[in-house]
Amino acid sequence: MPPRQAAQQKPRSLRGNPIVPYLFVLPYLVVFLFFRLGPSIAGFFISLTDWKMIGSPKWIGLANYESLLVDPQFHTSLINTFYFMLLTAPPLVFFGLLLALLVDQHLHGRVIARTAIFLPYIVMSTVTGVIWLWVFNQHSGVLNYYLGLLGIRPIPWLASTTWAMPAVSIATIWWTVGFNMIIFLAGLQDVPQELEEAARVDGASEWSVFCHVTLPLLAPATFVVVLLTLINTFQAFDQIYVMTGGGPSLATLTVIQYLYYEAFSHFRLGYGSAVAYVVLAVLVVFALIQRRLLPEEETP
Amino acid sequence: MKSFSSRTLNQSVLYLLLLVSTLLVLAPLVWMTVCAFKAEGEILRYPPTWIPESPTFENFEKVLTRYAFGQWWFNSIIAAVCATTLVLVLDSLAAYAFARLEFRGRRILYSIILSMLMVPIQVTIIPLYLEFSALGLIDSLVAVFLPTTALVAGVFILRQFFRNIPIELEEAAFIDGANRFQIWWRIVIPLSKPALVSVAIITFINSWNAFLWPLVATYSDKSRTLPVGIGQFFSAFSGSAGSAPQFGPVMAAALLATFPAIIVFLILQTYFVRGVTMSGLKG
Repeated sequence: MPPRQAAQQKPRSLRGNPIVPYLFVLPYLVVFLFFRLGPSIAGFFISLTDWKMIGSPKWIGLANYESLLVDPQFHTSLINTFYFMLLTAPPLVFFGLLLALLVDQHLHGRVIARTAIFLPYIVMSTVTGVIWLWVFNQHSGVLNYYLGLLGIRPIPWLASTTWAMPAVSIATIWWTVGFNMIIFLAGLQDVPQELEEAARVDGASEWSVFCHVTLPLLAPATFVVVLLTLINTFQAFDQIYVMTGGGPSLATLTVIQYLYYEAFSHFRLGYGSAVAYVVLAVLVVFALIQRRLLPEEETP
Repeated sequence: MKSFSSRTLNQSVLYLLLLVSTLLVLAPLVWMTVCAFKAEGEILRYPPTWIPESPTFENFEKVLTRYAFGQWWFNSIIAAVCATTLVLVLDSLAAYAFARLEFRGRRILYSIILSMLMVPIQVTIIPLYLEFSALGLIDSLVAVFLPTTALVAGVFILRQFFRNIPIELEEAAFIDGANRFQIWWRIVIPLSKPALVSVAIITFINSWNAFLWPLVATYSDKSRTLPVGIGQFFSAFSGSAGSAPQFGPVMAAALLATFPAIIVFLILQTYFVRGVTMSGLKG
């Protein structure tokens, strides 16, 4: 958010030629209409058709959605996605907060640590995938070697239906925990030091200062982090595509992957669009929760 | 003296935690770098070595000669630069109108635009694909970057920023006879550098890392971007394409793709972090 200015200014406007404002908006609107709004609406109509890549679409009403209701693979993909969220989101939030608190302490080297922990976030998603693909390699991966030193027998990470999802989840946590740390850090800057000091002077222990002063004041940041984490994990695709391709035996197939395969491997555009609209419905629910719970940001 | 020793103990625990978490996070990146320089025989050996015994460039050579790595690279840069430039121009023009100018339909238009914050590109790849096929632009760089230029977060961030610029500056210029475009270009834009840099960074990262849409929109090296090239040729299933890459070249490719981003990040770190914090809203 831009720096808060003192008093909220009354937005005044300059008068003049009434055409000019439209000239300002027009270029963006064209792009917005063709590549954002248009496709978003068109997607719904496509979802009401039976459309093989080649040939013309056939109107079938809600039949695609009816099929989704009884499509076991779609159900698997939904369950997998929520399982992935369950494995990934809580640690992402927890470690994000923990790391933010840690690098916020007055320790030597905290700036370096902060940079280092954020670093994976700028690694491409597919690169994250290939790095961890080899870290998790069953026979020659580093991870199994070091686990072996601890007496743990080689785990067939990505080849096992049990371990593939945790593995993908670990890679994802590594990749994005720095992002959550940064948002929490920004939130921590907004916590007034005086309040924490006052509580300490009153004899509160560090733990209760944290629980009763810091954490409540951190609520807005926490909210943003939780929501973004849910939204992003719900759409996971890239690193999973690279690491497992949805396998083994669909164990890591997520909804976006299912969408991709239906539309671009099986060329069922209508059906894929129906999946997309289910995804969108879930995202809208997340967004509505955000609207409900977040103190009204300045909206027009 | 008890409080003193418990304090130092606390401090040591914190330092230990800091060190361990930093090392854990860096380990995969270090491992990638080390392995990129190892000869194939050394790579798969147990116990793993963290310093290459006889460092070699052969992995890099394989990557650069067997794959169109340079082309992917170039495509990624062009796409990201085009997307960023367009976003800066389009979004700042629109944001200025929404911040300062009065026109019919302003509120409703702005609400519609903001509502698209919740619609990620993943959800629209099918209509986009049909659209670009109809235009005959599939497998072109234009198809790769054009959809990213409709960034909603950019309009939102810039509008918020523009509204906080003291309007007196603009009024003074207006009275001196400047027209709207001059005010936008000479006064508003120069005052908004921090916000513009942040928007530029968000766009650049989005474009640079974009995977799903470029994967759908490209099928040849002519327009394939770096993430797509790596995802398609170095992933778990590239083996079925008959050219299963070995560990060394994969790590070399990963390093080549990552290293420049890390350098740019270290230079622009402050802006980066601010951009990322702003993109808390994301687009």
